[in-house]
Amino acid sequence: MTGIHGLDEILRGGIPYGSTVLAAGTCGSGKTTLGMEFLVRGALAGEACAHFTATEPSVKLLENIRQYAFFDMNMVDSGLINVFDMDVLYSWLGLDKASFELDDVHALIKSIVDIVNTIGVTRLVIDSVTTLCYKIKSEQLIRDFLFTLGKKLATLGCTTILISEITSATENAHWSSFGVEEAIADGIIVMGDSERMGHLLRFLQVVKMRGTSHSRAKHAIELTPLGVMLIPMLKWGASADKTSRWGQ
Amino acid sequence: MTMFELDQRIAEQLTQVSLNSSVQVRMSAANTFAVTASTMVPLMQMFEMGGVYISASRGAAEIIQAFEAIGIDVSNIHFLDLVSSGVLGGTDVPYPNISFVDSPIMLESILLRTLYTLRTVNSQRNFVFLDSVNALAIYNDDRMLAEYLHTFINTFRQREVLSVILNVPDQTPPLVLANLDTYCTDLVDRGQVVLL
Repeated sequence: MTGIHGLDEILRGGIPYGSTVLAAGTCGSGKTTLGMEFLVRGALAGEACAHFTATEPSVKLLENIRQYAFFDMNMVDSGLINVFDMDVLYSWLGLDKASFELDDVHALIKSIVDIVNTIGVTRLVIDSVTTLCYKIKSEQLIRDFLFTLGKKLATLGCTTILISEITSATENAHWSSFGVEEAIADGIIVMGDSERMGHLLRFLQVVKMRGTSHSRAKHAIELTPLGVMLIPMLKWGASADKTSRWGQ
Repeated sequence: MTMFELDQRIAEQLTQVSLNSSVQVRMSAANTFAVTASTMVPLMQMFEMGGVYISASRGAAEIIQAFEAIGIDVSNIHFLDLVSSGVLGGTDVPYPNISFVDSPIMLESILLRTLYTLRTVNSQRNFVFLDSVNALAIYNDDRMLAEYLHTFINTFRQREVLSVILNVPDQTPPLVLANLDTYCTDLVDRGQVVLL
C-alpha cells in the first residue's frame, strides 16, 4: 500500500514491494507532491524514506511542501525522511563536471545504494531522473545506470519512484525524456493536464504496474492540504478535452 | 432582519429522507431562495447537519448574506463558489467559509474539493447542496452533466452524505432532467408553473 488516498484503489492494492516506478509528468502536474506524499505515508508507517533532489535545493523543496497538512517537519528532524541534494552528493563524490562517464555513473550508483543500505531505506524518490540523466551523455549509459540502480534497490527491498519531466502527456508521447526509462521501470504513472475550455484539469493515469491488475483509466487529481485526491475523469469530458498542457 | 416564512411542508418531507438519500429539489425561477432556505434550514436546525454548499447560480457571499438577512447563521457550512473566480475582484470576500473553484466546467475538481471539504468538517452528519443543475447546464454539455450527476449522486450516497440537488426544471436539458428523475431517491417539487 502506498497509503495515498485513491492511488491504492487505482493500483488495486499499491505498488509492489521493491518496484521501480516512473512518475512522468508535465510541469505543475503534481509529481513532486505525489513523490513526497509517498514518502510521508511510508514514514507514518515507520518506514525509513529518502528523497534525492536534483531539480531544486532541499531547503526550497521542504519550504514548498510545508504548506501541506500531511507533511510534518518532525519526520525530517527525526530521520524518517532523509532529503539529499544531488549537487552536494556530486561534490562529495568529486563529480563536479558537465558530463558523466562510466566510472562516474558507477560511483553515483554506489553512493545512492550505500545510503539506502546504511539507513535501511524502503521508500525512495529521485526528483528528477531527467535532471540527473542530463549529465549522462550516452543512451546506453543511461540505460545501464537506471537498470543497475533499479536492480540493486529492488534487491535491498526499496520501492523507488523516479520522477521524469516530460513536455507532453498525450497518447503518442514518450513517458520519459530519454526514451529508455520507461522500458526499464516496473511501473509508469503519467501525470499531466487536460485543457477544458481554457482551464487546466490535472490528471493521473497508471499506464503500467507489473504485478498488479491496476485501472488504466484517466483520473482527475487534486492537490489538497491533506494530500492528493483522485476520482475517475468524466468519460464525456475526455471527448471535449485536449490532452496535455501543450495540446499536442 | 426580514420576516421570512419557511415552507414547513418541505421540512415535513425531509423527515422521510436518510443520509444516503439524494433529494431533487425542483424550484421555479421566482422562488429559488425561499425553497433553498426551506430545505437547508430544517436540515441544519432540526437534524443538526453540516456540510458543503456548492454555489453555481450566484456568488457564495451573496447567498450567505441572504441567509443572514433572515437571521440564519451559516458559518458552519462550507461554501464552494464556482461563480466568483470569473468575476474580477469576486474572490475578495470577508467569509472564511468560502473557497473557490475556477469555473463551473471543472466538474471533477468540484467533486474532489467537496470530498476534501467533507474530510475537514466537524459535523457528524453532512449534506451537500448543489445549487444548481440549471446553472451548471449553462456551461456544460448535456451528456457530460448527466454523467456527472450520476457520479455525484452515487459518490455521496456511498459515503452516507445526503445530496440535495437544486434545479429549475424548465431551464434544464431533458436528458439531465430524466437522469435526475431516475437517480434521485426523493423529490421536493416546488417548480410547478401556476397559471392564473
